[in-house]
Amino acid sequence: MARYGMALDYKNCINCKACEVACKEENGVELGAEKHRIWVGGNNPDGQWPLLDIASAAFLPSQCQHCDDAPCEEVCPTHATYYDENGVVRVNADKCILCSYCMNACPYDARYVDDRTMTIDKCTFCSDTRLARGETTTACQNTCPTKVRTFGDLDDPESEISELLRTREHFSLKSHLGTNPKLFYLT
Amino acid sequence: MSVEVSRRKFLQGSVALSVAGASAISATNLFSSEHTSEHQSTNSRIPSTITTKTGTGKAENVPFLCGICVNKCAGFARVEDGIITKLNPNPYFPKSRNMLCPRGNAGIQTLYDPDRLKYPMIRIGERGDGKYKRVTWDEAYDAILNGTDKFKGIKQILDEEKDNRATIGYCNGEGLSKEGFEVLMGEKIGTPNYVDEISICLETVLGGYFSTIGTYGESDLNNADYLIIAGANRAEAIITPDTMDMFKRSKGRGLKTIVLDPRFTNTAAKADRWLAVNPGTDLAFVLALTYVVLKEELYDKDFAAKHMDGFEEYKKHILSHNYTPEWAAKITNIAAKNIYKTAREFMAARSPIYYQGRRSVFSKNDYQLRRAMAIFQGLSGNLDKKGGIVYGEKIKLPKEDINAPLYAQVQARFDTQGIAIPSLKTGSWIVFRNMVLEGKNPYPVRAMFMRKHNPMSGVPNTKKTEEFLRKMDLNVMIDILPSDTAMFADVILPEASYLERTSPVASYGGLEPAIVQRKAAIKPLFESKTPEVIYKELAEKLSKPLWEITKKYDEDVQDDTDGMTEKEIEAYYEENGFNLADAWEKTVEEDNKEKVVKLFGEKAWAILEEKGVYYPNIEEYHKQLNPNEFEYYPENKKNYTTQKEKLKVKCNLTNLTKKGVDAMPTWHDDYAFSVPKGKFRLVTGRHAQFTQSGTTNNMMLRDLIPTNYIWMNNQVCDNMGIKFGDTVEVKSSIGKVTIMAYPTNKIAPNQIFMLHGFGGSSEKMEIAYGNGANDALLIEDKIEPVYGAAVMHETNVEIRKV
Repeated sequence: MARYGMALDYKNCINCKACEVACKEENGVELGAEKHRIWVGGNNPDGQWPLLDIASAAFLPSQCQHCDDAPCEEVCPTHATYYDENGVVRVNADKCILCSYCMNACPYDARYVDDRTMTIDKCTFCSDTRLARGETTTACQNTCPTKVRTFGDLDDPESEISELLRTREHFSLKSHLGTNPKLFYLT
Repeated sequence: MSVEVSRRKFLQGSVALSVAGASAISATNLFSSEHTSEHQSTNSRIPSTITTKTGTGKAENVPFLCGICVNKCAGFARVEDGIITKLNPNPYFPKSRNMLCPRGNAGIQTLYDPDRLKYPMIRIGERGDGKYKRVTWDEAYDAILNGTDKFKGIKQILDEEKDNRATIGYCNGEGLSKEGFEVLMGEKIGTPNYVDEISICLETVLGGYFSTIGTYGESDLNNADYLIIAGANRAEAIITPDTMDMFKRSKGRGLKTIVLDPRFTNTAAKADRWLAVNPGTDLAFVLALTYVVLKEELYDKDFAAKHMDGFEEYKKHILSHNYTPEWAAKITNIAAKNIYKTAREFMAARSPIYYQGRRSVFSKNDYQLRRAMAIFQGLSGNLDKKGGIVYGEKIKLPKEDINAPLYAQVQARFDTQGIAIPSLKTGSWIVFRNMVLEGKNPYPVRAMFMRKHNPMSGVPNTKKTEEFLRKMDLNVMIDILPSDTAMFADVILPEASYLERTSPVASYGGLEPAIVQRKAAIKPLFESKTPEVIYKELAEKLSKPLWEITKKYDEDVQDDTDGMTEKEIEAYYEENGFNLADAWEKTVEEDNKEKVVKLFGEKAWAILEEKGVYYPNIEEYHKQLNPNEFEYYPENKKNYTTQKEKLKVKCNLTNLTKKGVDAMPTWHDDYAFSVPKGKFRLVTGRHAQFTQSGTTNNMMLRDLIPTNYIWMNNQVCDNMGIKFGDTVEVKSSIGKVTIMAYPTNKIAPNQIFMLHGFGGSSEKMEIAYGNGANDALLIEDKIEPVYGAAVMHETNVEIRKV
């Protein structure tokens, strides 16, 4: 039993997409641009050459926020989407009927259709791959060249993530929606 | 604090960004869904799906050294039931510190690429038409030796050339098995005509730094506090540990970062200041920085007095030429006030670094630019110390003892025309190729032996490369994929990829030196063989027949063997290295073990076998600090300072003058950047999801970057009526391509950019074929005057919407 979350030192991100590839290879995710469990957002800089607004061109790595109050779980008519014992938002492929309510409900666009299993799939924090083998990092954290991510147990006060959140300022995405995400962006 | 985020908005942004690295066009547009999810292979050693979810059962973790680019990161291959399901980073290697980039992660897709070369082949059609016949390895070696009805064999060629081994040219890509190919072709077969990838890469950078400070060095970015990074794009052209260190402390977190680049790259997005320098004018910028520092006496005077040779002459040279920021502003497009500010900040910083850069030669003044950069670094005194450019140490491995035969008939290399300091070993691709094409070679060059190298894409002016290859009587290619160049080979030998072979143990120096070993994670797929086995077998096949030719024409050998019995001649052949295969008596595995055990003992060997990495005291020194960070050496054991009194910065290289090269970096008016009205300067480069043409057939990476686009200034596009995705024709003096447009504010109105490595012409590479445009069809084959290295950024093009 744990309550898993992730802190992202997002200013380190260089938009190289090592995390995306590692995720796909680890979890056997389908190819295709829309089959992303994880992604890096980026904006074009504002302004005209050569006076471009550097600050507007930040990169924002993201994935399922593993909300404590997940809208996708709330709307799922078959309870295919559920919280596992570690607070990770998971999907039961056998129960999913592809109604896509979850896709519409998710404010982070973190759900996608897996055409092979006919499931609206999502990030699992590598629960059924790496964590199941006793590893303590997700594929995206482990491979990252600039070490953006720290994954860990929010309920463990001694964990690296707990320490980071105690000592570093951070924010959550769309916190006003009351979803209580477990992804934290360090500033 | 809350930030509004929508993934769709991000993806929209990404469409525009796709040139810089996001997903724009779904790969499912490009192939049927079966292709994107299945390998459609009945081979039990190939996974049925393209991505394979890792299991929770038994798995082996085999240490490997990545071969997807030149950097060499260490990893562990997860092998389940004989299939590699995942590549993970290796936390023991101080150079790559537990990371794998997107290409490193996607290496599995190159291993299992359906288009891989699977068995030896010989050409049965015309060159370039892709018609080949599958043969056995012995038949392939035999075809190299004796030819077929379609092409001549090496025996006939060497006989006709009277044992002048120089009639054979060879080229080679970077990698751990590179040296073996140089041994086979250069030392054993005995040709001097090697064209290495360095003359289309970083030759002037290495040359400029070595001749000025005696090393290329390593930037200690972990401890620096000020960085000028010019013409290097570490967010997209990943080099470890530089990329890892650079961006953890940028953005107001300890490493102030000044980026010079004509375009707004992902590195520029991380800058405190981005200076949109005109292509090829960095030298004027550095000279003006130097001017400010000397004029205002901001430099480290003790250091200059103690370590800088020719300092007074250089000072006089810079000041008397009046290289003021106002002068440089007109040339570089960088405001004088920014040059003053950067120069003053640099010298006021505790540990400033002017990053050395890497990659290709940009302009014909590149050697002098690197010299000026190295001298400027010297002015700060921040060399050979923590936080500066450091020299480091390297763990020495014994050099192979090669019994190289001497051939009397072999002639010298000739690719020296127009070059001040011709490289005797590695040559100049452009000069070599062009002299052969123009008939300026003093003797016929009739064969090319090529390995893991794709000059059709890499060397400027593809048409000339094609013509050159067509001119040969024999082309041999050793590679893993049917590249554009492989399609001009007469014999194709399939090599095992880096995940299927154990490679010679390698040593990486620097602040934290280590030795590494790549181990085969799986056996070679199909009928591919490891390079060292190919070298050995080819050497065995060629050895005796070529010896017969030597005996026929080589007067020295004839004199030596005159009157000898057959048995004595056989002994002479062995003793004098004419047995070509004697360099591969031991397997790579045996050789590695012997070397490491001899140097460090059995324990070290066991550690290297298990972890892929070894350095003295690794067990004591290596510690995990937190989930993301490791310590490799204690602080007091890092090689920050190794030169001490020997440290020299050579400002004035007077011996260059007689070769027609400036002894001190000097600006010449013809270095100025100018583009005729209506034309654009072509700038090329790479990014994090591709390694030149080597990965354009990789399904996973293609999923991230579907094609290359041409970056054009958005306002120019508005005027020309060009929108995102429109096809435009780009034309230079040597060729033209069509490519899709990407209007952007990230590039100047008179410049364009395209990613290198696309536009494949080999139909055998299904994904790469015809995708995007090949910049080598446009880039004029110009060289810089010091080493004859290819200049990549001096081509102007015209553009029209089609």
